Amino acid sequence: MKWPFLCSMFSVGRYSIPRPVTRNLEDLDSVQSILLHSDLEPEWLDSVQKNGELFYLELSEGEEETLLQDISSEVPAGNHVRFRENEAEVIQEGSRKERKYEPRLKKITKILKKKSLLPKHSGKKGTGGNDGHPSGPTSILKHQSTQKVGVIVQQRYKDVCVYVNPKRLPSAGAGGKLKLLEALVGIVHQSSWSSRRAEKQGEQDRSNKGINEEKLVVHGLVPGSSAIKTGQILIGDALVAVNDVDVNTENIERVLSCIPGPMQVKLTFETSVFENEGTSQQRYKQAQSAMNNLVKLLWGEDNMDLQLAIQGMPHIVMYLTLKLDSETSKDEQEILYQYPISEASQKLKSVRGIFLTLCDMLENVTGAHIISSSLFLCGKLVQVVYWKESDKLLVIGLPAESVPLSQLRNMITDVVRTLKFMYGSLDSAFCQVENISRLDHFFNLFFQRAVQPARLNSNSSPSAQQYDGCSALLLDNLPGVRWLTLPQEIKMEIDTALSDLEAADFAELSEDYYDMRRLYMILGSCLFYKGYLIGNHLPKEDLIDIALYSRHYCLLPLAAEQRIGQLVIWREVFPHNHLQPSEASGVTGYREPEARYFLLIVGLRHFMLCVLLETGGCTSKAIGNPGPDCIYVDQIKATILQLEGIDSSIEERLESPSIPCLSCADWFLPASRDKLESFTTPPILSKLQNTSKSATSTTSKRTLFTDSSLRTRKPSPSRSSGGSDNGSEGPEEGGGLNPLATLDQVQKHERKESQGFGGSEGSGSLFKVTKKKHTLPNPFHLGNLKKNLSEKDMELYNAVKLTSGPENTLFHYISLETMQGIFITPTHKEVQQLSGSIHPQLIKNFHRCCLSIRSIFQQTVMKEKKKNADSGSNSDSRKASSDLNLVREHGVLFECSPDNWTDQKKPPPTMTYWVVGRLFLHPKPQEFYVCFHDSVTEVAVELAFKLSFGLAT
Amino acid sequence: MGEEGGSVTLLCLTASSGVPLFCRSLGAPSKHQLPFPVIGSLNGVHMFGANLDVLLTAACTTNTHVVWRVFHNSITLIVLSSEEGASDFALGRLLDNAFSAMVLILGLEELVNIRNIERLKKDLRACYKLIDSFLAPLERSGDLTQCVECVPVPHGAALQECLEAFAGAAESRFGCLVAGGRLALATEPWWQLAPQELLLLSWLVGSLPPHAARDYPIYLPHGSPTVPHRLLTCQLLPGLEACLICGPSPALHTVETELVPRFWKPLLEPLQACVSPQPHSLPHGTTLPPGVLAFLLIHREQRSSQSSVQPPGSGGEGLSPRCRARALRHFYALVAARYFPWEGSPAPPQEPFQAGFPHRARHCYVVSATHKAYAIHAPQHQLFLLLAPHVPTFALRPLAARTLQRLTGDTAL
Repeated sequence: MKWPFLCSMFSVGRYSIPRPVTRNLEDLDSVQSILLHSDLEPEWLDSVQKNGELFYLELSEGEEETLLQDISSEVPAGNHVRFRENEAEVIQEGSRKERKYEPRLKKITKILKKKSLLPKHSGKKGTGGNDGHPSGPTSILKHQSTQKVGVIVQQRYKDVCVYVNPKRLPSAGAGGKLKLLEALVGIVHQSSWSSRRAEKQGEQDRSNKGINEEKLVVHGLVPGSSAIKTGQILIGDALVAVNDVDVNTENIERVLSCIPGPMQVKLTFETSVFENEGTSQQRYKQAQSAMNNLVKLLWGEDNMDLQLAIQGMPHIVMYLTLKLDSETSKDEQEILYQYPISEASQKLKSVRGIFLTLCDMLENVTGAHIISSSLFLCGKLVQVVYWKESDKLLVIGLPAESVPLSQLRNMITDVVRTLKFMYGSLDSAFCQVENISRLDHFFNLFFQRAVQPARLNSNSSPSAQQYDGCSALLLDNLPGVRWLTLPQEIKMEIDTALSDLEAADFAELSEDYYDMRRLYMILGSCLFYKGYLIGNHLPKEDLIDIALYSRHYCLLPLAAEQRIGQLVIWREVFPHNHLQPSEASGVTGYREPEARYFLLIVGLRHFMLCVLLETGGCTSKAIGNPGPDCIYVDQIKATILQLEGIDSSIEERLESPSIPCLSCADWFLPASRDKLESFTTPPILSKLQNTSKSATSTTSKRTLFTDSSLRTRKPSPSRSSGGSDNGSEGPEEGGGLNPLATLDQVQKHERKESQGFGGSEGSGSLFKVTKKKHTLPNPFHLGNLKKNLSEKDMELYNAVKLTSGPENTLFHYISLETMQGIFITPTHKEVQQLSGSIHPQLIKNFHRCCLSIRSIFQQTVMKEKKKNADSGSNSDSRKASSDLNLVREHGVLFECSPDNWTDQKKPPPTMTYWVVGRLFLHPKPQEFYVCFHDSVTEVAVELAFKLSFGLAT
Repeated sequence: MGEEGGSVTLLCLTASSGVPLFCRSLGAPSKHQLPFPVIGSLNGVHMFGANLDVLLTAACTTNTHVVWRVFHNSITLIVLSSEEGASDFALGRLLDNAFSAMVLILGLEELVNIRNIERLKKDLRACYKLIDSFLAPLERSGDLTQCVECVPVPHGAALQECLEAFAGAAESRFGCLVAGGRLALATEPWWQLAPQELLLLSWLVGSLPPHAARDYPIYLPHGSPTVPHRLLTCQLLPGLEACLICGPSPALHTVETELVPRFWKPLLEPLQACVSPQPHSLPHGTTLPPGVLAFLLIHREQRSSQSSVQPPGSGGEGLSPRCRARALRHFYALVAARYFPWEGSPAPPQEPFQAGFPHRARHCYVVSATHKAYAIHAPQHQLFLLLAPHVPTFALRPLAARTLQRLTGDTAL
């Protein structure tokens, strides 16, 4: 039995929990029982680090195969190939690069070498790495072959990784030479051919190899095999090595027969690549390898490809001390931590004197902390941001072209918060030797994310990837998590499941059962699906902490695109609102217990459940560095499995357009309209028909009617009618809209606001015009909610589905609920459906503009805070002057025209649209950003803002 | 730029040795003079970086912006501003203007090849007035926009003709009328000067102590930074001066006693009309829609501007003119630095923020607690409006469009 062993391993001096007796098992649901019955030692067990931390990531086999081969295929049933992140071992052994557990790839090489099949193959080894880039090493042996006149053909080596599974070999294939090569890899080689060819071609090869071994020239590829799936093995290539072991016709079968199980092997080919072909392949690879990049980065592998991309860019992070020990005047003693160590960063490091002096001097002169400075080096403007804490200074520098200054300021705040969450304080993060390799990994991720977000946030489709790329800069720094509104039943189900988990009264954890105090108390949990938050039982601050952590480790995009085989993360955390009780808390007499906190994240498939645990409060005190407790991990897994059923409805929600439906910018350009007409409308419409379960027959008929009457003009009305159709789901999605509570607020707020912008006349006209606008038959089915809503409320409510007017003119939106720590924005799917030439640009433009708008809002919020703090002391003159820049709303009108306008005579048609942001400070802080077509009446803009109240729960 | 709640300090040092040449500051008296060690380290930190090929350009703390710039490897200008809403954009313009002002008065040669620091220090005193006016632009905005401010002239054609004749008689092609530091009329060649020169000249005339006539040596920072010209000014009326740029002849005396009476005496009445509409700077008969607190209209091609912080009808309600001017400047800096395409010289050393936008910004507005602001980027003009907070947000755009039409429709700027 493993349990006693486990527990003694994990919890020094803690009670060990005996294996539960099975008499109670009938009471547990089946999932749990399966988990409990399985005697399997959890796979992640080996990966637990000495300090109890665990970061274990395993992809499901299907994903792994696609990851390795870059081509999706059917999901085979079989065993998993595991990769591990083993930093603990690394640290124990004192060297950073070494790994205790080598990836399988290396293992088999070892096996092969042990069996001394062949002498070591070196020198020829490709440096292309595992990702199989054809752009690998340009060989020193460059011989010109003359296959085509005029085209430069280069002889070079390329590494191709293929996924092989000897267990899936067809049983029939017996006997015959070179059978394994064909059956396992899918490469056809005919010896007689090759011998002839080798004579012609390989004079020098022969001299190298000595004996009459033939080259393994690829003569054909087996359809459906892994070799053909890679798309990189070409007929005419010659296989020279398998996992860096030289192969020829003599030994290939022996080498291949040594492959013990399903795994990835690296095949090295000698090939003739046409230059242009090589580049096109590379481009293809680039799109595909993004996921590769992310996972590799997470596994902590050195990814040359990614590193190279940012190597030339001056970027640095340093942790400096301002107090210098004058006695030990060692060189560079003020640097407590630094990353990366590259040439471009060297320059930034060499001017650390500037940072230290500025920090010190400006504080003396102005009496305020330094925030940022700008430097010119290597022809680039580099922004440096500072974070000063006691006598230490954290400095981050990045080129302005990749991150605008205002954003960089937010990023350092986030970094500091994440580090404090992970390590308690900056000092404990930076000043402990064993943390250095972890921090290297941390900042490697940080810079990769900052500089090339698109390459990490991979998505299957390029359009979604593009969306990710341009929105990452903004969304990654919002103080919130991307929220997905869900129908009420599903929400309920999720909430119930989470509550059950949090109650923690399952058998092993109940205090009565073992008559001892439980180890941990669950403070709260939050559930992500494909990177969207779908359930949260955590206070905002904790949620943000966890979100920042998972964002930093790219867990959200990871779960979005790949099915995770298993993800288990465990670490002690220091949530700052528990550890530093805010003086503002209204509850008197309550004090946070002196406790320790642990974060447990379990991911399965697209789900990710984060749980914050407390120990030491009402539970037993944790001693030492406890590792993850299997029971908790299993319970969380069980919760996820229990929720597995809802993923189809969530998928459905993701597929269907959301409440405020969107238009594509290209529809508004007359030129592209005809082209688009053919394909934009039907799929969306049909999808809507399927998804809107609640639409009664009358409403759907009406919808169709409106649709047909308007469709003659342009496709966008069908979208808007689609929206209204979808809007009829509204009452069911009460959770998403919560009409009664929020509308009241809206009303109240609206009054308040109207005084701000237009006097009473403003709000009056608002409603009048809305009514006038609603000439369309209203397909909105209110159901039993109708009684409760006054006429006015309804008008407002209807705004959710339509921007006013016959056409839907809303392009994009982001609604940030600062109070709840969530934001809502159209899903990837929605954006994907709105493809076109202008629309992606518009999305990019929107996000960039939002960056700017948000930076202005942040100033306002800061001043507002300062004013509130100052309000005690009377400084009227100051207040009056600072009031000048309290920006509440900011909008920019953009103009665009098609890129490739060929008609010389006519000027290109233009389309204008607004990007507007509005900041609400009362009743609760909120930010809302919309992008809509110019034709919207100004009143509708007001409505669009009201809409923001309906979006979030 | 110094106003309540903030101070601006401009430091000038020699780039090679770090010797302070002058220090001008405005605002809070407590920080009036920076102590020498602070000046030294401000310069030192920049020099340290320069030696390592790292050019420090700006820094900011929660309340202060600092911008460094070195001109021609010989003069370092450093500005510290603790003003509300100070931006790198505005401070960059300030440094640029300050150096150009030094060139205008002393010539580039003397600034680049410094032979006698003590003498240079003495010479630089002549620039103080002009530089101080950049530090405290009050209700003007030309320094920020780099567009010379104009006042509409009631009887333009007649005066223009007279100006051409006057300049011709003085053997000069460059002649203009400056009313209260703003350009009223100019000959065509005058308009051909660089926008910054136009601006500096009219600000210079405005900043000099009043005299009936002056003969002032100037160097044109862009046109002839090393060869001096003569700037002749004659006061026609209080607040209205006729200016000429000319070579060795004619003598000031000839211009003052012969040419001025000959050409301008007969036109006394139209000239008087030039001086009176000062605070409004609106063409006669033009009214603005209600709610407009201040406006700034830029003629893009000519690089000239019209502005007022007290347009007729705006009343005294709400913000004081000073506050309006500040809000308008702040809005301009925001929009010009972030959204509207870069205009004027010199191009910024860094890649501007606008370059990141795939689409072109045309309009822009801001709603703040005390005012609303709207900007239009039209093919010919840029209009920046400051509006009262009671104007509904959705009415801003039509209102701004109407204002633009009124301002441009019946006046050839």
